[in-house]
Amino acid sequence: MKTQSRAGSRLIIGLMFLFLYAPILLLIVFSFNAGDSSAVWKGFSLDWYAKLFQNRIIMESVYTTLLVSLLATAIATTAGTFAAIGLYSLGRKKREALLTVNNIPMVNADIVTGVSLCLFFVAFFQGWGSFARWFNSVQSAVELPDRLVLGFGTLLLAHVAFNIPYVILNVAPKLRQMDRNLMDAAQDLGCTWMRGFWKVMLPEIKPGIVSGALIAFTMSIDDFIISYFTAGSASSTLAMAIYGMTKKRVTPEINAVSTLLFLSVLVLLVASNVKEIRQEARDRRGIVRQPTALDQLRLKLAEPRFRWVRRGTAAVLACAFVAAVVFLSHATGSRPVVNVCSWGEYIDEALIEQFEERTGIRVNYQTAESNEALYSLLKSGGADYDVVVPSDYMIGRLIEEDMLEKLDYSQIPNFSEIDSRFQNLSYDPANEYTVPYAWGTLGIIYNTAMVDGEITSWSALYDEKYAGSVLLINNSRDAIGEALLYLGYSVNTTDEEEIREAYDLIADANRRGVFQGRVMDEVFQKMEGGNAAIATYYAGDYISMLENNEDLAFVIPEEGSNWFVDAMCMLKGAPHQKEAHMWMNFIASTDANLANMDYIGYASPNREALERYPAYYAERYGEELDPGLYEIMAAPAEVLERCESYGNLPAATLNLYKNLWTQLGVR
Amino acid sequence: MKNKLSWFAVPYVVWMALMVVVPILIMVVYAFTTADFEGTTENFSEMGSYASVFLRSFRLAFVATLVCLLIGYPVSYWMAHEGPGFQRVAMALIMLPMWMNFLLRTYSWMSILENNGLLNQFFKAIGLLDLLGVEYIPMIGTSGAVVLGMVYNYLPFMILPIYSVMVKLDGSLIEAARDLGADSSGVFRKVILPLSLPGVLSGVTMVFVPSVSTFAISRLLGGGNQMMLGDLIELQFLGGAYDPHLGAAISMVMMVIVVVCMVVMNRFGEGEEEAVML
Repeated sequence: MKTQSRAGSRLIIGLMFLFLYAPILLLIVFSFNAGDSSAVWKGFSLDWYAKLFQNRIIMESVYTTLLVSLLATAIATTAGTFAAIGLYSLGRKKREALLTVNNIPMVNADIVTGVSLCLFFVAFFQGWGSFARWFNSVQSAVELPDRLVLGFGTLLLAHVAFNIPYVILNVAPKLRQMDRNLMDAAQDLGCTWMRGFWKVMLPEIKPGIVSGALIAFTMSIDDFIISYFTAGSASSTLAMAIYGMTKKRVTPEINAVSTLLFLSVLVLLVASNVKEIRQEARDRRGIVRQPTALDQLRLKLAEPRFRWVRRGTAAVLACAFVAAVVFLSHATGSRPVVNVCSWGEYIDEALIEQFEERTGIRVNYQTAESNEALYSLLKSGGADYDVVVPSDYMIGRLIEEDMLEKLDYSQIPNFSEIDSRFQNLSYDPANEYTVPYAWGTLGIIYNTAMVDGEITSWSALYDEKYAGSVLLINNSRDAIGEALLYLGYSVNTTDEEEIREAYDLIADANRRGVFQGRVMDEVFQKMEGGNAAIATYYAGDYISMLENNEDLAFVIPEEGSNWFVDAMCMLKGAPHQKEAHMWMNFIASTDANLANMDYIGYASPNREALERYPAYYAERYGEELDPGLYEIMAAPAEVLERCESYGNLPAATLNLYKNLWTQLGVR
Repeated sequence: MKNKLSWFAVPYVVWMALMVVVPILIMVVYAFTTADFEGTTENFSEMGSYASVFLRSFRLAFVATLVCLLIGYPVSYWMAHEGPGFQRVAMALIMLPMWMNFLLRTYSWMSILENNGLLNQFFKAIGLLDLLGVEYIPMIGTSGAVVLGMVYNYLPFMILPIYSVMVKLDGSLIEAARDLGADSSGVFRKVILPLSLPGVLSGVTMVFVPSVSTFAISRLLGGGNQMMLGDLIELQFLGGAYDPHLGAAISMVMMVIVVVCMVVMNRFGEGEEEAVML
């Protein structure tokens, strides 16, 4: 009877572990996949591990994660221990009041902590900025930096802030258990306070300190939300890198990272457990262990006369750690840098390497999800970019809000190669701010194997026939623009009625369950893997998807569509302006445009590159470029005639877009 | 002597004021102002239109917490009655995934639950899909997927505190109850349940709070269709609808609701502090 029930309970425990570990095992198995799918097995390979170590974004984020966790743990453990000692020598009332405040970050949802810290840092930076400008203007001996942004420093502060409470909570019970007279006794016996602290108090509360440090480290490593709001754009933790990747085309490099992480933790856990188990077994059998050579050395070193050796070693180790940190941060910081923010899947990465080799400038290449998300990022003070690549209408808005710097075109000789069609466009009529990067059209991408017949109208997006397999584009301008086009209105309408009608169309389809989800770059994985039938996205990205799934088709609906230009601009007060100009000039060159056009599938604004591309393709791949594809990439004049470009909208309309877009998620 | 030590608390008090109190105050200021920093309560009067997001968040978080409790409670109970070796290995196995980032674990579920994912491929292989006459069973993008993600990620937070209480539970109390004539259900209701309540309460807190405020899990597994409070807040700060004032107001309301829930719950448990941590 007894054994039977135990077998039953063990079965359930086993099932729970199966539930916990099956997804992890899958991650590990697919890290050895030869293909790049996470659902289809294509054979064994170690490629993804090799690629992982070349992936700078992941490797740097691993380094940032480890550094921030270690530093935050060390600082929080020290500070938390002293704070706990201080708190416990206060009266009961004061102590409990302070402990309540101490508990706030633990009880609060992470997102509230993250948001409030983000707002705090930004407010502080603004205050500091005006102080520094004033300070620099009244004296000239010391130059204070007047432009601070979120970065490693704020990330570290935030981690320390949420780690300290855990340390205090673990040290506090040990202090409570400790006999308060012990310290007095030690001092009566002639100890200085410091010595009493090291010899009496520290050993007593050590278990609490150790467990506090462990929990702090775990929390730091596992944190995503607080880092997300406080790290800004310059540094990203592994969690942030992974989140960024899940929004784009996911490669099994993620699986390789997971596997390595899992194995290293497993090894650590097994090692520590084995040690404990052995110790316990010895204790149980009452065997006194023969001291090994190492133990003898340790005993010898513990003698008072070796005190200076011990302290010296500790000092040397500490110095080495600090030196390593300084060296590493220096090694990444001393080279000239340019911070670029673009879109996912939007550059031939070989170009970055070429530029770095040629100029010695390090390119810190980041991506944003959409124009609107980029705008939020810039506004919330998290962005430390020099060059951004927004689309036409967003450039108009940024110029209007005085967020861009005028360019010095004498430093960008390659600008003359840009086709005159793409110069002096309405968003930048005198062409003072922008260097066009790519252009293209918006259209419907659908899977011919999953859709009967041809799609020719935007109506397919709102059709119940395709319920659950339509992907709505996740930015307000495109999503509402499509609906406006379908209804026969202008994409630039400021008529509230028309915009609301368009919104109702989307909201109604949403209610009827037509949309499987809202996506930006997730669309690659969804469409290539046959997980959705219909999506709207950009022509260039269709070309990339077609390489991985031949069933996909692209159409510019009969109601017309949007055509857009994305252009490079420099942000106001960008710290690396010379490097930014060099980067723009490099990217505007014909060679770079050819390579980019081939890689990302978007049409080039460079006159020569656009004309030469079919020849370039034939030379590179040994076969003719399908003229149909070339027409999709670089839409001919008669197609562009049916398309309208987005213009910047007045503030009231932008506000309406924003409110409606928030409402859409609220079913 | 005492006074000297209490000076240690001063830097920390300053730090807390700066890094805990001031940020929350700034958030409150944002919540009550417009983009030009003029006082307003509009951010709160708009809140009514987000009621459905509040409801969905609390509903999904409640379901996830309940499922965690239903799995976590018996498992912790049984584990506490196993041998020390079994317990040690089991505990290590429960802790292990926590050192891998939760986004990695959530991402793994994406590839399982997709319309063309592993689970649907499996259903197809065993003929279930043909049997039902569908091409796939929709899983990703549903509220079920989001709850699954929460349960999966936060289950250890439920098991750990309950287990640590169960393990300390004095066996002689149970024997005494039996000797005094209690049957199994009586022992459970009168002895085990009340004694394990502090663990349950801290487990519930540790699962409910992150669940109600998550945005990554709902974004990845809910496909953007299952908007939760966290998504709504993120949208106002780093997403596609920049309005930190509204975001701050929503954060504030959420903070107040969560704190009220916690206070009410701790009334039941008389605040057993030790149970909060492992």
